[in-house]
Amino acid sequence: MEKKLEVNNLKISFRTPAGKVQAVRNISFDLYKGETLAIVGESGSGKSVTNKAIIGISSGNAIVESGEIIYDGQDLLKITEEDFHKIRGDKIAMIFQDPMSSLNPIMRVGKQLTEAMILKNKASKKNARRDFNAKLKLLNENMNAIAADENAIKDNNDKCSTFDKFCINSTKLEEVYNNILATAQELLEYLEHILFLNSKQQIINSDKVYSKIYSDLNVIIHPSFIKEDNRLNEVYSLIEAAKQFASKNAAELQDVEVHCIQTVVDLIKEALQKEQVNYFTLGYYTMYEGEEGVFDIPSEELNVKTRKYLDDNFMLDFIERGSYALQHSHNVSIEKKQAIIPLLNEALEIFKNANFTKQTVKDILNPIYKQVVDAIDGLEVIKNSVEYTFVSSMTNVLNKYFFGIKNNPKEMARYEKQNNKREKLIASGKQVDWKVVPPSIIDLQLIANDICIVIEKLRNNYIEQINNSINFDKNAKMVALIDFFKEKASQVVYTVTRRVAKLKALKLLEEVGIPEPAIRYRQYPFEFSGGMRQRIVIAIALAANPDILICDEPTTALDVTIQSQILELINKLKAERNLSVIFITHDLGVVANMADRIAVMYAGKIVEYGTADDVFYDPRHPYTWALLSSMPDLDTAEKLEAIPGTPPNMIFPPKGDAFAARNRYALQIDFEEEPPLFEVTPGHLAATWLLHPSAPKVEAPRIVTERIAKMKKRMEEEENE
Amino acid sequence: MNNNQTPTQREVILKVDHLEQFFKMGPRSLKAVNDVNFEIYKGEVFGLVGESGCGKTTTGRSIIRLYNITGGSVYFKGTRIGAGVRRYKERINVLKQQLNNEILEAKAQNADADLDEIKAKYAELIQEQKREIKSAKFDQKHCDREYSKAQVAKVDDLYIPRLEELPDGSEEKAVLVAEYKEARRLAKKDTITSKIQMIFQDPIASLNPRMTVREIIAEGLIIRGIKDKKIIDKEVYRVLEMVGLVPEHAGRYPHEFSGGQRQRIGIARAIVLNPEFIIADEPISALDVSIQAQVINLLNEIRERLGLTILFIAHDLSVVKYFSDRIAVMYYGKIVELSTSDQIFAHPLHPYTKSLFSAIPLPDPRSEKKRKRITYNPLVAHDYTVEGPTMREVAPGHFVYCNETEYQQYLEELKK
Repeated sequence: MEKKLEVNNLKISFRTPAGKVQAVRNISFDLYKGETLAIVGESGSGKSVTNKAIIGISSGNAIVESGEIIYDGQDLLKITEEDFHKIRGDKIAMIFQDPMSSLNPIMRVGKQLTEAMILKNKASKKNARRDFNAKLKLLNENMNAIAADENAIKDNNDKCSTFDKFCINSTKLEEVYNNILATAQELLEYLEHILFLNSKQQIINSDKVYSKIYSDLNVIIHPSFIKEDNRLNEVYSLIEAAKQFASKNAAELQDVEVHCIQTVVDLIKEALQKEQVNYFTLGYYTMYEGEEGVFDIPSEELNVKTRKYLDDNFMLDFIERGSYALQHSHNVSIEKKQAIIPLLNEALEIFKNANFTKQTVKDILNPIYKQVVDAIDGLEVIKNSVEYTFVSSMTNVLNKYFFGIKNNPKEMARYEKQNNKREKLIASGKQVDWKVVPPSIIDLQLIANDICIVIEKLRNNYIEQINNSINFDKNAKMVALIDFFKEKASQVVYTVTRRVAKLKALKLLEEVGIPEPAIRYRQYPFEFSGGMRQRIVIAIALAANPDILICDEPTTALDVTIQSQILELINKLKAERNLSVIFITHDLGVVANMADRIAVMYAGKIVEYGTADDVFYDPRHPYTWALLSSMPDLDTAEKLEAIPGTPPNMIFPPKGDAFAARNRYALQIDFEEEPPLFEVTPGHLAATWLLHPSAPKVEAPRIVTERIAKMKKRMEEEENE
Repeated sequence: MNNNQTPTQREVILKVDHLEQFFKMGPRSLKAVNDVNFEIYKGEVFGLVGESGCGKTTTGRSIIRLYNITGGSVYFKGTRIGAGVRRYKERINVLKQQLNNEILEAKAQNADADLDEIKAKYAELIQEQKREIKSAKFDQKHCDREYSKAQVAKVDDLYIPRLEELPDGSEEKAVLVAEYKEARRLAKKDTITSKIQMIFQDPIASLNPRMTVREIIAEGLIIRGIKDKKIIDKEVYRVLEMVGLVPEHAGRYPHEFSGGQRQRIGIARAIVLNPEFIIADEPISALDVSIQAQVINLLNEIRERLGLTILFIAHDLSVVKYFSDRIAVMYYGKIVELSTSDQIFAHPLHPYTKSLFSAIPLPDPRSEKKRKRITYNPLVAHDYTVEGPTMREVAPGHFVYCNETEYQQYLEELKK
């Protein structure tokens, strides 16, 4: 499965007057495309801090001590705020806990929905054009590289420029159509409203209605939507006739006028039901055959025809050439990678022995950097995060290492000086009520290890790629590439006007299950109930069509029935849009029906990590047991097993296992040393010493084992039925 | 708990009779609580569930007289502590209408009929309603005064005979007189409504940030007339220990505590006046799961120790099921189903109850994925065009809000 997001060794602290609060302590997880990862833990366990770091809204006193968050080949912790604008909300969206405080109370819901769409459009046009051109140029170069002769090269150049032209052309056509659609929808809504008012004998200014119909019809009447025919002429004549009747003063509508409005409504409704034309294929067709009479053909037929025309004249050939070019580019990059591997091994040897200076590092790494960047296959749409972030993570650890070399002796000197002073004072018999601050020495060995890990990671990734290169599916990659071009072209061409944005917003509102979106669009947040408000927040999050949706306790403020409705909605949207979801909650019951994988967090660490089945049917960490046993279910009768005490103070995190003090099953070693993540089954990890081979055998609490037994029994019964 | 006794034998501590609480919203009124009846027995936990906005909290607040109720009455230990007058006023309007109709009818039949008799009959009826209104208003206003009068009388009865026995000027008498005066002073400040206390939902918002824990807890005692600082401190430390805090905490401010500890302070404040009845308004909704269990256990412990009766308002159904003896389900200001918690979870009858129970999330991924939520739409689920619904008893102690046809249907459902 495709990895969407990678969090590696993330460590975040907060500077506070009382000291440094270690909120997140070294956590790593991956998020795959189309799956839900649930992060469970009580407040203060660092689950929200992690996700705020992902979306780049950590509070001002946060310090990222180490780690990386990799999305789309870049490390989100290191990019600038300007670059983050392209990701936040656009690629990674967030749903907040309290829908009331995350909506602006004095803005209409519709405006809040469309705001982002309109803003996003302004920013992205230039970038989209740049990306489009860069990729196309690269493709062209690769095509030329395998070309046989001069003619072929010329042909390739032609093809690419044609592709560019018709991509833009077809999106332009589509834009025109979308604009028409939006106008038509608006007019339809308006006219229906007028008819409704009329039926209620309300006073209407018919002049206004006519001018609206006239101006909108000018936009709508386009061969692709409403063609000029008898009925339309009839409408025009009717309006003319009605104008004679119409008094300048507002009054009730006459029968003729009603008939005329009704005709327009019918025409629009009819047109809306037609199948949509495939503009991508049409774009090419019109470039060579002209636009005359294209829309006279019924759209189904037209789609088939243009598709065939495009395939025959251009597309098949282009795809073939493109896929060979992709293969070529891939092969070249693999070859380069093969050449780099020995270099990496060499570098690894040197770093392992840990005798290196700045100069030697420069000598070794600079050529490697160049080659690594050179070896990246630029035509891959899905960016390989390891390759892309190698240089930056490498410089990062090296900087830290050399800083340590420079700083450690200084720090030690300071410490010794102060310590000597203190000892002297004590020796002279004075009361000393201050302590010497321990030296903040950077462990060079650890960082040297980190350097090796970064290199090894790249090497392993290369080896994997080389092994997988036989399975390279050039046609599938080409299709993905064309989709990429299409998307970029639409970003280049589309101007999201208020009208288009409204059309999109109405569609979204309908998608998230809000009845009568047209009325709701104009309301304020306070006019909605809690569940509806949360739906609006979800719609806003989806407005930019993100890849990743972070839900930060979206149902905690809602009651049971609404909660399950919202959960169902998130599940549905996830399936429809193939979203990756990070779901934060403190209630294990909530995540049971939606999580694919669950990470249980405590005191800034992941204590248990596994699939939903693993965590619910075979929990291994005492904290998970405690969470499961502390909430009553419908069969619980005995006393609840509350977790005694409170979470530890993270300014002074406990030395061993953070949960040890509240843990009934704590061993002696829990207080002394932090447990590593033990693997229970592949993919199911738990950080507790109880899983160590030489640990005493401990059963989960009775309430948990009984419940699991009951669930399994119920499952078997259902299977037998 | 007196579980083995039948409900009729058990002492009713709180009776809510046709409770109505309307809020004015422009020309219309919002019927937050509309004709709610229930009885709470001594020593039990009565759970009130429903979605947000259905009137659970309003019911609780009306009982403790944070609102002046619109109609109906609330009886606590047999004393009416709250009463509304809407019902009587409406009745008077109806009577007046009837009177007019009858007069017109009589006039139509016989031009010089004897109208005085009819008028007198109705005047009597109207007078009766007016008396009711007067009594309701009196109870609403003066129930605490009447109660303290009774308390004072009790003290008098206790001390006066003893005082008379003793000779004048003796030292014993002086001591007794002082004691009598103190007791009388306290009895004067005793109120019946202080026997009902409330625990609020949000432990952050319900504690004054500028008062120390001691001040917060002692406030009730001071209002009740206790002046001796030593007694106050003793009481404060006693309840602090009871809720699992230590006396050192008394000098701190609320912000120095974690969420669970704050809720403990809220509980301590509620139990310091030795109440008999506690209204717990979603006491655990704002807490973390691991802390929730601590607070539930604490409430359970205190209830057993002090013999409290609790009205437990919540929307987390598994907690309500675990904690309550009887449960009432509310929907839009009305109670739609009421029964013991085992019975109601085993045999939910009203469609709304069913839909509510079908939404409970469980920590079991595979059955969760199969769970189907039942939606409730009152317009589809019921047909009340022929006959309106009333509260009916389908099984002993199991009440459902339904009409006759539904009643028969439910009976059959129960037989299965």
